[in-house]
Amino acid sequence: MSLPDFKLLRPRSLDEALDNLAKHAKSSARLRIVAGGTDLIPSMRQKLFEPEYVLDLRHISELSGIRERKGSGVEIGALTSLTAIEHSDVLRRRYSVLTEAAATVASPVLRNMGTIGGNICLDTRCLWYNQSLTWRKGCGFCIKKDGDLCHVAPGGTKCWAAFSGDTPAALLCLNAEVEIVSPRGKRRIALHEFYTGLGDDHRKLQPDELLTRVFLRETAADYRGVYRKLRVRGSIDYPLAGVAVVIKRSNGHVADARVAITAVNPAPLVVKGATEALNGKAVDDAVADAVGVLAAKTAKPLTTSALTPEYRREMIRVFTKRAVLAAAGN
Amino acid sequence: MRSKREWRRRGETKFLVIPSAARNLLLCFANDERPTTNDDFMTDFSIIGKSIAMVDAAGKTTGSGKYTDDLSVPGMLIGKILHSPYPHARIKRIDTSRAEKLDGVVTVVVGSDAPNPYGILPVGHDEYALALDKVRYVGDNVACVAAVDEFTAERALELIDVEYELLPAYFDPEDSMKAETNLIHDNKPNNIEKDYHHVFGDPEKGFAEADRIAEARFIANEVTHAAMEPHSTLAAFEIDPQTGNPGRLIVQSSTQVPYYLQHKLSLVLEMQMSQIRVIKPLVGGGFGGKSEVIPLEIIAAIAARKAKAPVKITYTREEVFWAHRGRPRTIVDLKTGVKNDGSITAVKARVVQDGGAYCSYGVVTILYSGALLGALYDIPNIQYDGYRVLTNKPVCGAMRGHGTVNVRFAFETQLDELAAAIGMDPAEIRQHNLLKPPCVTVNGLRVQSYGLPECIEKVVERSGWRQRKGKMPRGRGLGVACSHYVSGAANSIIRSDMPHSTVNIKIDRDGGVVVYTGASDIGQGSDTMVAQITAETLGCTIARVRVIAADTDLTPIDIGSYSSRVTFMNGNATLRAAQDVKKQIATAAARKMNCEPGDLIFRSDVVSKKNGLQGPRGDGRPRPSGQAEPGSASPSVSGHVEGQILRGSLQQKRKDEGPKEQLSFEEAVVAAIDFHGALSGTGSYAPPLDARGGKHKGAGVGPSPAYSYSAQVAEVSVDEETGEVTVHKVWASHDCGRALNPVSVEGQIIGSVWMGMGQALTEEMVWKDGMLMNPGLLEYRSPSSVESPEVEAIIVESIDPEGPFGAKECSEGSLAATIPAISNAIYDAVGVRLHECPFTPERVLAALRAKNNAKRINLTEGVDPTSPARFREHGGSLWYRGKGPERHPLDPSRTETPAAVAGDD
Amino acid sequence: MKKELIELRVNGRSHEIAIEPSKLLLDALRQDLDLTGSKRGCDDSSCGACTVQVDGTPMLSCTMLAASCEGQEITTVEGVSEHGSLAAIQKAYGDWGGSQCGYCTPGFMMTVRHLLSQNPNPTEAEIRGGLSSNLCRCTGYSQMYQAIKAAIDAEQKGMAASR
Repeated sequence: MSLPDFKLLRPRSLDEALDNLAKHAKSSARLRIVAGGTDLIPSMRQKLFEPEYVLDLRHISELSGIRERKGSGVEIGALTSLTAIEHSDVLRRRYSVLTEAAATVASPVLRNMGTIGGNICLDTRCLWYNQSLTWRKGCGFCIKKDGDLCHVAPGGTKCWAAFSGDTPAALLCLNAEVEIVSPRGKRRIALHEFYTGLGDDHRKLQPDELLTRVFLRETAADYRGVYRKLRVRGSIDYPLAGVAVVIKRSNGHVADARVAITAVNPAPLVVKGATEALNGKAVDDAVADAVGVLAAKTAKPLTTSALTPEYRREMIRVFTKRAVLAAAGN
Repeated sequence: MRSKREWRRRGETKFLVIPSAARNLLLCFANDERPTTNDDFMTDFSIIGKSIAMVDAAGKTTGSGKYTDDLSVPGMLIGKILHSPYPHARIKRIDTSRAEKLDGVVTVVVGSDAPNPYGILPVGHDEYALALDKVRYVGDNVACVAAVDEFTAERALELIDVEYELLPAYFDPEDSMKAETNLIHDNKPNNIEKDYHHVFGDPEKGFAEADRIAEARFIANEVTHAAMEPHSTLAAFEIDPQTGNPGRLIVQSSTQVPYYLQHKLSLVLEMQMSQIRVIKPLVGGGFGGKSEVIPLEIIAAIAARKAKAPVKITYTREEVFWAHRGRPRTIVDLKTGVKNDGSITAVKARVVQDGGAYCSYGVVTILYSGALLGALYDIPNIQYDGYRVLTNKPVCGAMRGHGTVNVRFAFETQLDELAAAIGMDPAEIRQHNLLKPPCVTVNGLRVQSYGLPECIEKVVERSGWRQRKGKMPRGRGLGVACSHYVSGAANSIIRSDMPHSTVNIKIDRDGGVVVYTGASDIGQGSDTMVAQITAETLGCTIARVRVIAADTDLTPIDIGSYSSRVTFMNGNATLRAAQDVKKQIATAAARKMNCEPGDLIFRSDVVSKKNGLQGPRGDGRPRPSGQAEPGSASPSVSGHVEGQILRGSLQQKRKDEGPKEQLSFEEAVVAAIDFHGALSGTGSYAPPLDARGGKHKGAGVGPSPAYSYSAQVAEVSVDEETGEVTVHKVWASHDCGRALNPVSVEGQIIGSVWMGMGQALTEEMVWKDGMLMNPGLLEYRSPSSVESPEVEAIIVESIDPEGPFGAKECSEGSLAATIPAISNAIYDAVGVRLHECPFTPERVLAALRAKNNAKRINLTEGVDPTSPARFREHGGSLWYRGKGPERHPLDPSRTETPAAVAGDD
Repeated sequence: MKKELIELRVNGRSHEIAIEPSKLLLDALRQDLDLTGSKRGCDDSSCGACTVQVDGTPMLSCTMLAASCEGQEITTVEGVSEHGSLAAIQKAYGDWGGSQCGYCTPGFMMTVRHLLSQNPNPTEAEIRGGLSSNLCRCTGYSQMYQAIKAAIDAEQKGMAASR
């Protein structure tokens, strides 16, 4: 399968990239941004995107790297590879949930290519969507691309394609913020505000905007973090369910905690009520199970991927329970 | 009964077409005696039984080896195929004019360009290279564009306007069997490709004698080969110098069966076989997926004919899934009776296979499923009802363990249940029901070598079965199962008495040995096997041997690499060819050495007298290295020189010398050429008549000259909260007759076990209304290294009386035991019986919940044949009449008539 | 489809080629430079048969644009053998059955060499993890472990593998 024809823009600096965006990014159909390529390139093969321009960020060195800023957390360039995150000492020491999540993404080689920014911006996935043009023609297309029917929720008008990035669940637990830059200026938002919750238009990102940096606050550091994911194979696969848990303990009790899930909704989500359910408690099976039930209630998986929705929701419960117990050190 | 010699001669007149060698071949045939093994049957070999690197290994590890898609020729066009988006539809109109006008498009071919039907089986000529009037599955072939590059060809596909009239489609085999109208093929009532009903012995009496009877439905879902190399074909026509017009067709293709491809091309293109040359470059795995003619192979040829230029087509991975030919989803209703002492009294199986839209190997598959109920254990009474059913899905065919795997899963699982019911150890019940060979089974299969007892003993011992079984912590368990497989089919697809394999050997005065074999190396190592047998027989180093394989212009016919036939059959042909040429060398050498030919020993590049000086001996132990024996690789200096000196001076030299005590290999070769004038040998193999099976309808499938045997113990753990199964280790013993190249044999055993594990745990083709939901390696989950267990391969050598050096098959038989070994281990670990594979975590969890009366897991996507409505959930593809297809800018229906989806209901 | 002239450095040599901006690195290597060792096995970036090293890091050449690799050092399987002889890992893969059909082998060569360069003495679990980017359909990976261990031994003994 060949790629559609496009013009390649290869900026060497962020400013140059912004110039390119100002000139060509009239719509997302017209220009697509590529970093590691592991998401966009296969999708372009399947003609899910046929842009006129592709903006290649690989050579903007200023957007790569992990910088620890004394007393005010860590800043991660969007083009930092997932391998670099996985092996970063400072992240492993202070934000271990992120290194753990990064270390489970796809496969080692895909982590060499994939970037943290790409993992945050990852397109949502669905078995009815991530298929070739011929295949999609056969099913009459779907609401996310070229059609107006949803195959996983027949009769519905909402797209349920699942967000399938691993690291955003960890980043949500860390209250991460992202910097978004466009020719019109710069803004910084909390990651949980970045997602719309809709499968077909899942990011709050204008066509001319770039996600450039991720910020981890000092206050989010030094939690015990655990990331658990469900997948069929031990490598390569996208997650079928994922859960990140961070817990800070004090005197054997939970001082603060957060839980986030991924791959079971059109966006990664913080599990509401989990913090309250954990704070002040000594974590035991019952507490962990209660958090698991909360997480399962937050999960709304549909038949967007392998394994049945019911099973995936059940696994959110089990994996959350296990992750909570592990993060609590029990 | 026709004599052996007669069939050989018939074979040679029709097939042997190498003019220069023809005279010698005639001579050789006349000399060749009946099968069986060799005169110098020894146990101390210099090359056989030693682990060596495959002869083509360096090309593979350096990337210099060429697979079909690596080839290009000047002026080559790229072909792309238009596939049907609908599972069942009549083609009302195809308009290729818009596509033809696109710049860079050279030609577009459609069904009417090659309207002759074909199929791998003579009874199943139901396929067309490109659809004539109907498409029968999503992915069926409609048209092909040949263009200057892939991009252009793909764009042109979008410009082909096809008007379809949608027809009701059948996706579930048991539903499909009820169909009376809108049949998939008009000549197949009830969409049944073929059904067989066999009764051997007296099953009713057998069940009456049983103390315990188990009866259950087993389902094995559909899996595919997923060989790493997508199919590829490069077709080109040569210009005939006499006529100046396109003449011979040269096809290079990723095939396991060059000869069948040549045959089917001849049929469809209406060309003489002699005008078609099929060459098999390196093949990146087959597993059966390339063991028949795949549409692209014929399409490339007809496109090249019409384009008047070479055309290469390489499938995308999705197209590989559509081409498929994998293992069908199989429903097995199985009933087994045993006595309290463990004796099996009767087996009754009703097997329904969801075969997809065309016949392919289907008739053979459904017969294997029944026939291979026999020849593993001693079962006196067998009833078998097999149905091969057509559905509107990609075509199932032959896949590793062809026909036996899914039924073996059911049988071995049920046998485990019966063992538990009568309180017998699962290994013991298997040992209790062994055959007593040599024997002929109740369904007419001849069994000679039978290593199963040793296989079971070995895995029981190595796995610590007796000490550990039943004593492991909850959640961890051991399971045992056995399997077997044919070493090639005793009857070839195209029934004839001609040889199944023929091999020629040419040795020239340079001392180089060239073996011409039709065997198709697809990664299993047949070229290496051929080189080993040749070198061992001739007593030369393997470095001397060059293997020219699988090129219909150069190599004599071999029917292909399938049904695990190559080592046994092509190996025997190679052995005979080598013996033939050795006999000629021996005659000449004996004259020089003043002794009888029978007194000579050929070993390590030296020909010596039996009681005289002998060449260096091997230590008899396998060594994984490039050379069998250190220091034996380089020929003697005198050999080098003598091999190249001219005949006249050689005669002078010979006069100068008296009788010799020993000759170097080159000296012996030169002496032989001196004496005979030319040096070549030939050998062929056809299975003996007494191994060809019984007389009942369908008796042709199942018989084999020899069967391999396997026993396995799997150790698994089950996470009872998630249903996830981890396979920790598999002990796999396999009776391969004799391991010619132990490292390769182990590789085949491990690979089979591993592929069985994939089918047991993760691999499954998932369907929704005829749409394959996972047509890629991301969603069709072939195991990665992380969850792949250690497999301890244990070689058992029963030394088959008819195999080359006693060898039998080793590449398929082990697969079938793995799935039940795992299911039995899951039972041992957590007490649930799984009757549907793969044992995905949700199926395991659902079974656990059901057993514990815990909250049910509703497998909404569970493939439940008793409730096909649920199987169909999330429909919408077939009957949907939305605006979707009009929206894509490239879709022809956007500008043309929207008829594409208007014809439904 | 307007072609652009780009310079690719592959296996230590520079090549100037005219390619479409949409051309994948894998296709440029195979079609424009005739380096057919890297294979295409899938279309969804899952199989690893096309793996090459880009500035020493294994990446999927089917998932990168050739033009995007300008200025980077690309190593393909053709650049692995040493002075016309097999590298220890290549020899060991042949001897120990690490390669059967061989189609996935070039990709494994690239990831395994990287694994060993990062970690000359990996544990079995690390080897398994290191191999998990590439799919093989023949071997079940087992004999690859033996091959890798043999190659490590051979490297340590400073001689060709397992001889």
